[in-house]
Amino acid sequence: MTHLLALPLLMGIVASLAGTRLPPRHAPLLGAAVAAACFAAYGFLGLGMADGVAVEAAFWSVPALGIGGGLRLDGLGLVFALLISGIGFFIFLYAHRYLEGDKRLTRLSVMLTLFMTAMLGAVTADDVIVLFIFWEMTSLTSFFLVGYDHEKPGARQAALQALLVTAGGGLVLLAGLLMLTVATGTSSLSAIIAMRDIVLTDPTATAAMLLIIVGCFTKSAQIPFHFWLPNAMAAPTPVSAYLHSATMVKLGIYLLARMNPLYQDEALWQSILTWFGLGTAALGALLALRETDLKRILAYTTLTALGTLTLLIGAAPTLTLTAAMAFLVAHALYKAAMFMIAGIVDHETGTRDARALGGLRKAMPATAIATVLAALSMAGLPPFIGFLGKELIYESLLEAGPAALLLIAGMLFVNGVNVAVAGLMAIRLFFGGQRPTPARPHDPPAGMLAGPWTLAALGLAGGLLSGAVGLWIVGPSAGAILGAPVTADLYLWHGFNLVLGLSGLTLATGGALYLGWPRIQPWLAGIAAIDRFGANAGYEKGLAGIIRLSEVSTALIQHGDLRGYLRTLFLVTAAGLLLTLLLRDGFALPGFDSGTVDIRALAFLGIAGGALATVFARTLFGAVVCSGLVGFATALAFLFFGAPDVAFTQFAVETLLVAILAFALVKMPIRRADDRTARDRVKDGGIAIASGVAVTALLLAVLATPFDSRLSDWFGNASLTDAFGRNVVNVILVDFRALDTLGEITVLAIAAFAVLALLRPMLQETRKS
Amino acid sequence: MEPTTLVLLPAIPEIFLACAAMALLMIGVFIGDKSLRLVSWLAVGSFVVTAVLLYAFTGWGGRELAFDGLFVADPFALFAKLFILLGSAVAIILSMDYLERENTARFEYPVLIVLATVGMMMMVSANSLISLYVGLELQSLALYVVAAIRRDTIRSTEAGLKYFVLGALSSGMLLYGSSMIYGFTGSIDFAVLAERVQGEASVGVIVGIVFLAAGLAFKVSAVPFHMWTPDVYEGAPTPVTALFATAPKFAAIALFCRVMMEPFGGIADQWQQIVVLISIGSMILGALAAINQTNIKRLMAYSSIGHMGYALIGLAAGSEIGVRGVLIYMAIYIVMNVGTFAIILCMRQQGRMVENISDLAGLSKTHPMMAVALTIFMFSMAGIPPLAGFFSKLYVFLAAIEAQLYTLAVIGVVSSVVGAFYYLRIVKLMYFDEPVETLDRPIGREMGAVIAVSGLFTLLFFVWPAPILNAAAQAAASLFAG
Repeated sequence: MTHLLALPLLMGIVASLAGTRLPPRHAPLLGAAVAAACFAAYGFLGLGMADGVAVEAAFWSVPALGIGGGLRLDGLGLVFALLISGIGFFIFLYAHRYLEGDKRLTRLSVMLTLFMTAMLGAVTADDVIVLFIFWEMTSLTSFFLVGYDHEKPGARQAALQALLVTAGGGLVLLAGLLMLTVATGTSSLSAIIAMRDIVLTDPTATAAMLLIIVGCFTKSAQIPFHFWLPNAMAAPTPVSAYLHSATMVKLGIYLLARMNPLYQDEALWQSILTWFGLGTAALGALLALRETDLKRILAYTTLTALGTLTLLIGAAPTLTLTAAMAFLVAHALYKAAMFMIAGIVDHETGTRDARALGGLRKAMPATAIATVLAALSMAGLPPFIGFLGKELIYESLLEAGPAALLLIAGMLFVNGVNVAVAGLMAIRLFFGGQRPTPARPHDPPAGMLAGPWTLAALGLAGGLLSGAVGLWIVGPSAGAILGAPVTADLYLWHGFNLVLGLSGLTLATGGALYLGWPRIQPWLAGIAAIDRFGANAGYEKGLAGIIRLSEVSTALIQHGDLRGYLRTLFLVTAAGLLLTLLLRDGFALPGFDSGTVDIRALAFLGIAGGALATVFARTLFGAVVCSGLVGFATALAFLFFGAPDVAFTQFAVETLLVAILAFALVKMPIRRADDRTARDRVKDGGIAIASGVAVTALLLAVLATPFDSRLSDWFGNASLTDAFGRNVVNVILVDFRALDTLGEITVLAIAAFAVLALLRPMLQETRKS
Repeated sequence: MEPTTLVLLPAIPEIFLACAAMALLMIGVFIGDKSLRLVSWLAVGSFVVTAVLLYAFTGWGGRELAFDGLFVADPFALFAKLFILLGSAVAIILSMDYLERENTARFEYPVLIVLATVGMMMMVSANSLISLYVGLELQSLALYVVAAIRRDTIRSTEAGLKYFVLGALSSGMLLYGSSMIYGFTGSIDFAVLAERVQGEASVGVIVGIVFLAAGLAFKVSAVPFHMWTPDVYEGAPTPVTALFATAPKFAAIALFCRVMMEPFGGIADQWQQIVVLISIGSMILGALAAINQTNIKRLMAYSSIGHMGYALIGLAAGSEIGVRGVLIYMAIYIVMNVGTFAIILCMRQQGRMVENISDLAGLSKTHPMMAVALTIFMFSMAGIPPLAGFFSKLYVFLAAIEAQLYTLAVIGVVSSVVGAFYYLRIVKLMYFDEPVETLDRPIGREMGAVIAVSGLFTLLFFVWPAPILNAAAQAAASLFAG
C-alpha cells in the first residue's frame, strides 16, 4: 500500500521518457492515461486514510547526501494530488484537440507529464531536498511550456521572466529550508514541524521564516512578485489552464499551508501573510478591470484568488483554514474550466478580446452551458461550491478581530470583481447580439469540452454535496494545516445572517462593475502610471541595470591591456600589504645605530639612483640599461656585506640579462618613445610609489622583529664538525646541498644544449645567405 | 644530523608519469609530427597506468611520506589526482582532431600536457613550500608553452605571453611569501609549520600567507588575480582552454586547501577573511561580467571564475565539511566543463571553428542530442536540481551556513541567480531561436563519447552519488587527521 505513493512519480518519469518516442497525435493520450492512473492511485490511498493518519513511503534516500528521502501524504497533500492529477487528465485531452496537427505536441506532452510528476512529487515530498528538487523542476518545465510559441519574442521574454523569478525564489526558499535543517538536524519536513520549539528558539528562526515566505511568494505570484503571472499568459491555453490557475501557482500556497503549524502563532507570519495577501488580491482585482484579453483578465482574477488564500492562511482562527481549503478547491474547479473556455473561444473565433465578442450561445451552445455553470460558481452563487467558499471567507473574517472591517471591505471589492468577470465570461460572451469574429464559431470537439463540462459540473456537485466535501476533503486538509483535527461542517443554507447580507452586497457590487465595465476598462487602461511604476517595470529596470553594470565592470576590469593588468596586480598587492600591516598594527621601525654613517651604505644610493634613472629613462633601451645599474649596485651590497659568492652570481646574471635584453630589443620593432599620457604616468607613478612604500614598510617591520638565528647558528656550528669546512657558504653548496648543486649544474648543461639546438638553424641560415 | 633513507615508493606513480613523459618525447622526436595520434593515445594510456599505480601504492589508506617528507601521499591527494588525470586525459583526447585539422599537429603537445600533469600531481602532494613551488612551476611552465602552441596566430601567442607575464609575477609573489614564512618560522615543512604557527601569528607570517594566497589565487583565477583568464581562454586553442578549465584548476584548488588547512589550519580565523573576500569577488564578477559576453570561450572563462568563487566558499568555512564540499564541487565542475568544452569543440561551420554564442541558435533542431547535453550542462552549472551542479553548490553552502558565514552564503545565492541568467540564455537560444547556419556533422566518435558520458554523469549523479561523496569525505578527513 505504501509503495503506491511512489508509483505515480515513477509512472510519470517513465511516461515522460516513453512519450518522446510517440507521434504528436498519441503523446497527449499517454499523458491522460498516466494522469488518470495517478488520480486512481491517490484516490485509493485517500480512501484508506479516512482516519486521518498520513501515509508514508520510502523514496530515494541517500544517506551520503544527507537526504532522508521519503514521501508523505496527508489530507493537505491529498487534495492537491487529486486536483493535480484530475485536472491534468482533462488538460491532456484538451491539449490533444487544441493543438491538433502541431508537430511540437510531443514535446508539449512530455513537458506537461514531467511538470505533473514534479507537482505530485512536490506535494508529497517529506524531505527538504526532495521538495526543493521537485519545486525547481516545476519552474524548469514551466520555462519550456511558457516558451512554447518561441517564435514570438513575448513568449521568450515571459518564459525567461517566469523562470528567473520562480527559480530564483526557489533558491531563497532552499536557503530558508536549509537553515531549518541545520537548526533541527533533520531534513524531514514532518520532523521539522514536530520540533516546533527548537525551530522557533533558534537564532536564525526569523530569517528562515522570511526566506521561506519569499520563496512561496515568488511561486504564488504575491506582491511584489506578481508581475510574472499575467505575462506568462503567452503560454498556449492548455498550459495556462493547468499551470497558472490550478497547480503551479498554488504550490507556494501549499508550502505556506504546510509550514503553517510551525509559524501560525508568530505575529510576523500572520501580519505578512494577511496584508500581502490582501494587497495581492486587491491589486489583482483592480488590474483585472483594465484588461480586455480574456486570458489576462483570468490571470489577474487568479491573482485575487492566490492573494485571498494567502490572507486566509495568515489570519489565525481555525475557520479561516477551512475557508481556505474550500475556496482552494472551488477556485481550482472553476478557474481551470474558465481558462479552457477562454481557449475554446479563442480557438473557435480567432480572437480573445472581450470587447469584440458576444452572442456566441447560438453558435456554441455546449460551451455556453459549461461557461454558465462555471461562472455561477465563480460568482459565488448557491448551490455551487464557489458559494460555500465565499460564505466561509466572510464568516471567518468576521472573527478576525480589529482588522475585520478592512479585510471584509477588501474582500467585497475583490469578490465583486470576480462576479463582474464571471458575468463578462458568461453573459457578455454568450448572450446578446452576435458580433462578427475572424473565424466562424462552432462548438469544439468533445475532448476540449470534457474538461470544462466535468469541472463545472463538479462545482455544482460539490455545492450540493457540501457535507461530503467538508468531511472528506476540507476537514482533513484544514486539519493538516492547523496541525490538529478539524471538523468542517459545510452546508449551503446558513439562514438570513450578516454573511448572507455580505454575499448580497458582493453580487450588487459585481453587477455594478459588470455594467460599468465598458467605461471603467478604458479609463483604467489609460492610466499610464500603472505601467510605468509597476513591478514589471521594476523587473525590466533591474535586468537592464544588471546588464549595464556588467558592461561597465567588464570595460573597467577586462580591457585586454597587459600593462593595465599589471597595474591592477601591483595595486592590489600593495594595498593588501598595507592593509594587513595596518589592521594587525604591524608597522614598526628597527632600532637605528645613529652616529657614524657606514661608507658601505653608498651601494644603496646606487640602487636608488638606478631605480630613479630607470623611471626617467627616455627609451626602453635606456631603461633596461638603468635597471641593470640596480642589479650591479645590489651585487656591490652583497660584496660589501660578506657574501662574495652571491655577489659574483649576481654580477654574472645582471650582465647576461642586460646583454640578452639589449640584443633582443635591437632585433624587435619597438616604438622608440614612451606612448603613455601624462595621466598614465601619474597613475603608474602612484602605483609604483605605493608598492615601494608597502614593501619598505614590510621590510622595516621585518627588521624590527628579533632575528631568528637558528638556521645560521646551526650551519655555522655544523660546517666544521660535520663537513670539515670553515667557509660556510662553500660547505652548503658542495656538502649540505651538494645534490642541489649537482642539479643546478645539470640544468645549466641542458640549457646550454637547448641554446645550441636553437642557434644551429639560425647559424645555418646566416651562412647560406 | 641523522642519515636519511630515500623513500620513493609512495611517489612511484609520479615517477612513472615523469619517465613516461620523457619516453613519449623520445618517440615523438624519432617518428616526427605524424606520431601525434600515437603519442596522444600513449599519453592517455600512461594516465591510466598512473591511476592504477595510485591505487596500488597508496589507495584510500593512510598517509605516507616520500622524499624525506617533501612529498605526501594521502587520500586527499589521491582524490585530487584521479580527477586531474581524468581532466588531462580527456583534454588530450579532445585535442587530437582539432590539432590535425588546424595544422598544429605537433607531438610536443601531449608530452607537455603529461609534464604539466606531473606538476599538478606534485602540487597536490606537496608537503613543503619548496615542493609546492617546484610542482607549481613544472605545471605552469608546461602550460605557458601549450597556451602559445599555435605560434602562427596572434591570438594564441598573445594568450601565451599574457599568461606567462602575469603567471611569472604571481609565482614571484608566491615565492616572496614563502620566503617570508620561512624567515619567520624557520621551516618549510608543513608539519613543522603547523606546530610553529599557532595562536596569534606574527605579522611576517601573515604577510607571507597573504602573498602565498595571492599567488595561488592567480592559479585558480580568482578575483582580483583573474584578469588573465578571459583573454587566455579566448586566445588559446580551444582544447588548451578545455585543459585550463579543468585539471589545473583542481590542482590549484587542492593545493590551496592543503596549504591553508595543513600548515596554517591553526590560525584559520586569521586568514579566513582573505578567502572570503576572494570568494565574494569571484562570485560577483563571474556572474556579472559573463552576462554581456558574445564569445562562448570568454563566457566559460567568467563561468570558471564564478565557480572558483563557489568552491572557495568551502575553503573559507575552514572545516572538514567545507573541504569535502570543495572536493565534491571540483569533481563535478571538472565533469561539467569537460562536457561543455567537448561541445564547444564541435562548434564548426564548414570546417571553420566558430566561437560565438549566437552560433548555437536553433541547435535543438540541427543537433538535438547535443542541445540536450548542453542544456544539461548549463542547467547544472546554474545549480538547478536535480543535476550534479546543484549538489556541488548545496555542499559548499551547507558548510558556509554551519560556519556561520551567512553573508557569503547569501551572496552566493544571489550571484547564482544572476549567473543563471546567462546560462539560461544559452538554453533559450538553442531551443527558441531559429538556426542561422547549421554546425557541421558528424562530430566524431571521441567527442560523442565524452559528451555522452559527462552528460549522463551530470544528469544521473543524484541516483548513485555515494562513491564520490564517500571518497571526498575520506579525502577531506585525511587532511584533518594529521
